[in-house]
Amino acid sequence: MPEKKREKDLTIAEKLYIPEIVKGLGLTLKSMFRPKFTMEYPEVKFIPPASYRGRPVLVQEESGTERCVACGLCSRVCPSLAIEVQASETSLEKERYPVKFEINMLRCIFCGFCEEVCPEEAIVMSKDYELVFRDRSEAIYGKDKLMVPIRQVEDRIEFLRNFK
Amino acid sequence: MALKTEEMVLNMGPQHPSTHGVLRLEVELDGELVLDVKPHIGYLHRCFEKHAEAMNYNQIVPYTDRMDYLAAMYNSFGYALAVERLLGIQVPERVEYIRVIMGELQRIASHLVAVGTYGVDIGAFTPFLFGFRDRESILTLFEMTCGARMLYNYNWVGGVSHDLHPDFVPMTREFLKYFKGSLVEFNNLLSYNKIFIERTANVGVLPLDTAVNYGVTGPNLRASGLKWDLRKNDPYSVYDRFDFEIPVGSGEKGTTGDCWDRYYVRIREMEESVKIIEQALDQLPDGDVHSAIPKRIKPVVGSIYSRVENPKGELGYFIISDGTVNPYRMKVRGPSFVNLTVMGELCKGHLVADVIAILGSIDIVLGEVDR
Repeated sequence: MPEKKREKDLTIAEKLYIPEIVKGLGLTLKSMFRPKFTMEYPEVKFIPPASYRGRPVLVQEESGTERCVACGLCSRVCPSLAIEVQASETSLEKERYPVKFEINMLRCIFCGFCEEVCPEEAIVMSKDYELVFRDRSEAIYGKDKLMVPIRQVEDRIEFLRNFK
Repeated sequence: MALKTEEMVLNMGPQHPSTHGVLRLEVELDGELVLDVKPHIGYLHRCFEKHAEAMNYNQIVPYTDRMDYLAAMYNSFGYALAVERLLGIQVPERVEYIRVIMGELQRIASHLVAVGTYGVDIGAFTPFLFGFRDRESILTLFEMTCGARMLYNYNWVGGVSHDLHPDFVPMTREFLKYFKGSLVEFNNLLSYNKIFIERTANVGVLPLDTAVNYGVTGPNLRASGLKWDLRKNDPYSVYDRFDFEIPVGSGEKGTTGDCWDRYYVRIREMEESVKIIEQALDQLPDGDVHSAIPKRIKPVVGSIYSRVENPKGELGYFIISDGTVNPYRMKVRGPSFVNLTVMGELCKGHLVADVIAILGSIDIVLGEVDR
């Protein structure tokens, strides 16, 4: 075992401990008047900036239809194979729409590749970060949960136009 | 010498707060003395290397973030650099500078967690919170730029995912100004604390030849006294344009290569990172960050080994390409994994309480040890 040289002797001032305690409490007092850097979370909600990558959502136009044209690029680029798209034809101008659009939120890794690759700005990352499921089947989000009115994601689309 | 008693095997972990993740240490004890330590790893194994063979080169980027999750920016930086070398891409100047700024900010964030949690291991709780407070400012900068606080997916092959926000440069400058003062406070609180020095000085001394033999890299190697930093010794990106020091351990409070040295090298590296970021912000050129991103990545048949200086040490990517869109084989040389191997050597002859102090000082991240 290596010989250890450790200082054991304390001076009288150090033996009293009082100066050290006063120094420590001084820092406590100083910290009391500093700005708080914590947030009382469930009461005070964290509002993310426009750059935030929350859960991916499908953009719903004012008319109530989705922007998605079911090209399937997002499901191909997804590294964790979380997206499933089934296309069908429609009489609308865009000709194709997704009959089924499912994202398995247990698989999603929030990388944002789907949003990056989308040619229609139809799938974007929202600010929603509170994801709770009671069982696994509930975690597979269908179109009903994915569609979000365009008003709610306007700043994200704006951000993408500026920085993507 | 005390009377020899029957040896006892003690399992430390896998669920133990001071193992920094899920690591089991099989500790062989003679009374209170440690005879040997065997780390058992693999609890977080995710088959990253095999998984990479099934994905194309872009899709691997988010998974490199998940190896050393405290230094995600730097992992993807190293990966992007490796693939760019394989493809022979030259990225724009602006991208290089942004990557260096992000990488050095990440180094500060990673070291803040390292020294903060090290304080908790030893029994000091306040510096931990102070470290996390300052790290939070860095994460806010990252979040503003790329939208994630931990797993950024930022350094893509040939560029970065988003250009910098106009507020980024002033906010970073403000942070650096604040952080310099904060570091002084951190030093007064922990580095020169008598109890802390008692617990760490002369504990877990790693001699230089042992460190080199085990392949230890990063702050742990430098604490043993060798000036070896890939940013200087094998410059990549634009690191050769910056003026900075490589801090090495000097045995200021005990022996060269002890726990205190390993801790203090990290503190001084943060100061150096601040210098690098300041210079990079001054020189930051304009340009398009997406111009060099290839549409389709299909390297020719060949292989590459590319290494960078991650906050934990030498991070190397060995990629074999068979000419398809997926890598044929990808091997990662992880610094935490290699640094962990020296654990048994360091702990021999110390007390059980010192095992925690030693493990904390080599600063491993289990996400990268197991991959």
